[in-house]
Amino acid sequence: MAPEKIEALTSTRLKTDEMIINMGPQHPATHGVLRLLLTLDGEFVKHVEPVVGHLHRAQEWQGQNRTWFQYQALIDRVDYLSGMFTSWAMARAAEKVDGCQVPLRGEYMRVIVSEMNRITSHLLWLGTYGIDLGAMFGFPFYPFREREKLLDLLEAISGQRMMFNYIRIGGVQSEAPPGWFAKVSEFVKEFPDRVDEYEAILTNNPIFIKRTKGVGILKKQLALDYGVTGPSLRASGVPLDLRKTKPYSVYDRLKFEVPIHEGDGDTFDRYVLRVKEMRESNEILRQCLEQIPGGTADELRERRKACNSCGKADCSNCGGDLMIMAKKQNAGLRIKAGEGFDAIESPRGILGCYIISTGGDTAYRFKWRNPSFCNLAALPDLLIDHPIADIMAIFGSIDVILPDVDR
Amino acid sequence: MSEEKATDKPAQESLSAGPFGQFLLEHGIPSTRLADSCGVETIELEEKHLEGAMKRFRNSAEVALDLLIAVSGVDSPETFDSVYHLWSYSNSNELVVKVRVPKSSVAAGQLPTVTSLTPFWSAANWHERESYDLVGIRYVGHPYLRRILNPWDWEGHPLRRDYKQVVDALNDKNPHSFR
Amino acid sequence: MNPAVFEIGKFARLTVIWLSIIFGAVWAACWAVGVFAPALINASGMPTETASLASEVLRALVPVVAVAVFIPINAMFMVLCERRALALFTVRKGPNRVGPDGLLQTAADAVKLLFKEDITPHGADAVMFTAAPIIFFAPSIIGVLPLLAAASGNHELFRSVNLPTGIFYVLAIASIPVVGIVMGGWASNNKYSLVGALRSAAQAISYEIPLVLSIVAVCLMAGTLDVVKIADQQKDSLLSWNIFGGGALLPYVNLVVAGLQGNNEQVQAIMQHFQAQPLGPFAAVLMVVCCIIFFGIYITGACAEVNRIPFDLPEAESELVSGYNTEYSGIKFAIFFLAEFTNLFVVCSIASIMFLGGGHAPLPGLEQGFTEMLGGILKQLPGSKEIFSPGWLINSLVNPSTVSQAFWIILKTYSLVIFAILIRATLPRFRIDQLMAFGWKRLIPLSLILLIALTYLRELV
Repeated sequence: MAPEKIEALTSTRLKTDEMIINMGPQHPATHGVLRLLLTLDGEFVKHVEPVVGHLHRAQEWQGQNRTWFQYQALIDRVDYLSGMFTSWAMARAAEKVDGCQVPLRGEYMRVIVSEMNRITSHLLWLGTYGIDLGAMFGFPFYPFREREKLLDLLEAISGQRMMFNYIRIGGVQSEAPPGWFAKVSEFVKEFPDRVDEYEAILTNNPIFIKRTKGVGILKKQLALDYGVTGPSLRASGVPLDLRKTKPYSVYDRLKFEVPIHEGDGDTFDRYVLRVKEMRESNEILRQCLEQIPGGTADELRERRKACNSCGKADCSNCGGDLMIMAKKQNAGLRIKAGEGFDAIESPRGILGCYIISTGGDTAYRFKWRNPSFCNLAALPDLLIDHPIADIMAIFGSIDVILPDVDR
Repeated sequence: MSEEKATDKPAQESLSAGPFGQFLLEHGIPSTRLADSCGVETIELEEKHLEGAMKRFRNSAEVALDLLIAVSGVDSPETFDSVYHLWSYSNSNELVVKVRVPKSSVAAGQLPTVTSLTPFWSAANWHERESYDLVGIRYVGHPYLRRILNPWDWEGHPLRRDYKQVVDALNDKNPHSFR
Repeated sequence: MNPAVFEIGKFARLTVIWLSIIFGAVWAACWAVGVFAPALINASGMPTETASLASEVLRALVPVVAVAVFIPINAMFMVLCERRALALFTVRKGPNRVGPDGLLQTAADAVKLLFKEDITPHGADAVMFTAAPIIFFAPSIIGVLPLLAAASGNHELFRSVNLPTGIFYVLAIASIPVVGIVMGGWASNNKYSLVGALRSAAQAISYEIPLVLSIVAVCLMAGTLDVVKIADQQKDSLLSWNIFGGGALLPYVNLVVAGLQGNNEQVQAIMQHFQAQPLGPFAAVLMVVCCIIFFGIYITGACAEVNRIPFDLPEAESELVSGYNTEYSGIKFAIFFLAEFTNLFVVCSIASIMFLGGGHAPLPGLEQGFTEMLGGILKQLPGSKEIFSPGWLINSLVNPSTVSQAFWIILKTYSLVIFAILIRATLPRFRIDQLMAFGWKRLIPLSLILLIALTYLRELV
């Protein structure tokens, strides 16, 4: 709501006592266990204090007290909706410190699975955002239809639906099962039509537009000040996407656009941006499937019959770019001494990992830089002077995952 | 875990200042260059220079280190470090800034103190609270330095090397064990 | 086969089974109390005076029995219907485990709710807290009574509950539940409940006005407040329904039909009538448009009145946890739940009586043909004069005209219910200030203007 409107509404009203309301940690709409201490004047928010940490699982402490190999399995829980990305951030930081080079096919596999993961994450966001706006049983389930297909595919390749533990330090865990690539390209073909379907329900829905346009404007300056990253930042018009600005992995070989919305940065812009991003991710997937060295897993298996899957690093069918893993995965996994920070672009923003290793089998210090944590810090400034009903519209639109905040 | 030697101990031979060190020198702020962390320039600043240096990094158009990615507290063997990872929104600059408070200078029962960046950089707010909560570095000038991840009445700072758990949930012999 | 078609088939089967259970039960109860028991008393050889008094009392009880049997079973069905229909609209399966094809899901839920602990929160006003669900629920029972008379085609057993000012009474009663909501919200000692209750009050006041204005338009066209008469006036065909201008188009359609049939005399007669009203056709078309818009306004207002999405702000889950019924559990919550669905049913049945021709068939001749056919079959049954013989039983059970009327009104009302569910599956929720603005700045002026227009158009047709 525009500030003048708020002024017009508030100035003519009687001055009433402020009411303190405790939204959460058990509230049906906070996506987990966020507690917001709201000070309300009538229905308008005057002050907000987010209280986080209800889901604190000491992930950093565990990183320092588990071996590298053990900890790899835990980190998917940091952000359970984009487990591939947390694994990847940690793997990249560790590889950087270790100086280990991931084979090209491994990198492509990483991009494929994590872009699929990005789509599932955005789809879940789309569905739950509908619930936040009160479309109680309506369209939430349409996005879930596609998400289910993707999760099935990810399960087929990693063995788990959400806690994948697929991207490991040095590469990826395993080659895709037979027929997997064909199913992915089938999905890639039909997905744009499905996105059209969601847009048909939402983008021109008058009530949806009324609820989201001009609500929760995240000004560019405020976003920069708070270090907001990800789609929320790009909706405010800042073109920061690590895939483009600091291309990591194989993103410099792929042609894609980073959608940027030159609008006010309200909740509607954030919605539009995420939908565009899903389409872009789909495009990236399509290109990866074409470019991946060695082709599909089935083709590769055929090729490897020639050398009887020898697995030697100098074999033209098994080694070089066609490997997927550069480091032995066992309990003795060690990272060379050193410190390093690396970050990737997760569905929620810049997901970073700071590692100090002493060369032992555990880290000396493990630090996560979680996008949700940083984006949530900007929430109080967004909520001020909005009615209660908009709290969830705004909170939902910045796409915060509470385990990601609390770790 | 035993007192393993952290590798990021002060470099033996002094390195020549990198581009960001030079930039600071131009503004009359001394800094020490540490060993690069994975190819990223790493400098150590004295605590009193931290705020001035950060303001210049952030506001200068050429350097434009305006994205404070993370503030990490580290309990190194000899020092308490507050590590700042600075990135840029507009270019590919990267910098790691460390402020180290020697453990010998911290009185018993006191927390090491570092100047807070929150007053001029909101991004530091929650990161500093987290660092205070987990490592126990007190940021002077922080408007609301309160525990953020642990409960408000928690005792101790869990990511300290000398932290002892009051209740060891996984220890069978502990009478307070959950098992 | 297409899985969607398969699911729709399952849903239809479930609906038919449940509806036959509901109306079979209501029918049987009414017959037992209103026909069979008096006959039994008469045959028992009691003194005539006592027997006739007793049968009178029993007959008077029939509407009450009908409502008492109908409301709980109907609410159970509607919950299931809502869940299954929503599942259908959102590519899911819905509850399909309890009983054959999920038929008994809500029965199980109801039993569960009855056995739940009844919690009164600390600091709540216990008396008000208990009274609130009752005050919320009671109006939906007494409000539905006059509608029974219209729905059954003024059947002799239900004639007693008809009022000359029927619709006025129904609307007056329908505005009482909000008192229950406010009481419950206030007595819960919970801020979310209080906010929800106050929102509900504000919303009910705002949306009652367009709702009543659209009903006033219907009464204006009908010239009466009596629901039975309003329903009767729409008996001719689709075109005489109030949603299509209450017969305004009828003469012109007749003209076209007569012209097509080449019936010159009739054409002449009608043309003479038109010469007196040259603007007639335009006025009639405008009137139809007005009435359709009024129907839309009524549906909007009704959704707001019974707190359905997109107007479910009093219990907005993402904002207010569960609004006014946050603190309720067990049987009290069940009553709130029951009343909510009953209210939905009541507003839908008002719509079908006021706008959609009540129990009358959409095509002329359909109703009459069916009645005659069924009546013919019934007459051939042997021994229909002899009391307690099978023929008598069937004849007293099945009244051809009532069967036809019941069929159509059930079809219309539940279609509207499913339409409300479809709305729920499609739209997000309004914000409270947008809701108020929409009500006061759009709906009320629109309905006032249309009402004035309608009064003039009526003179022109």
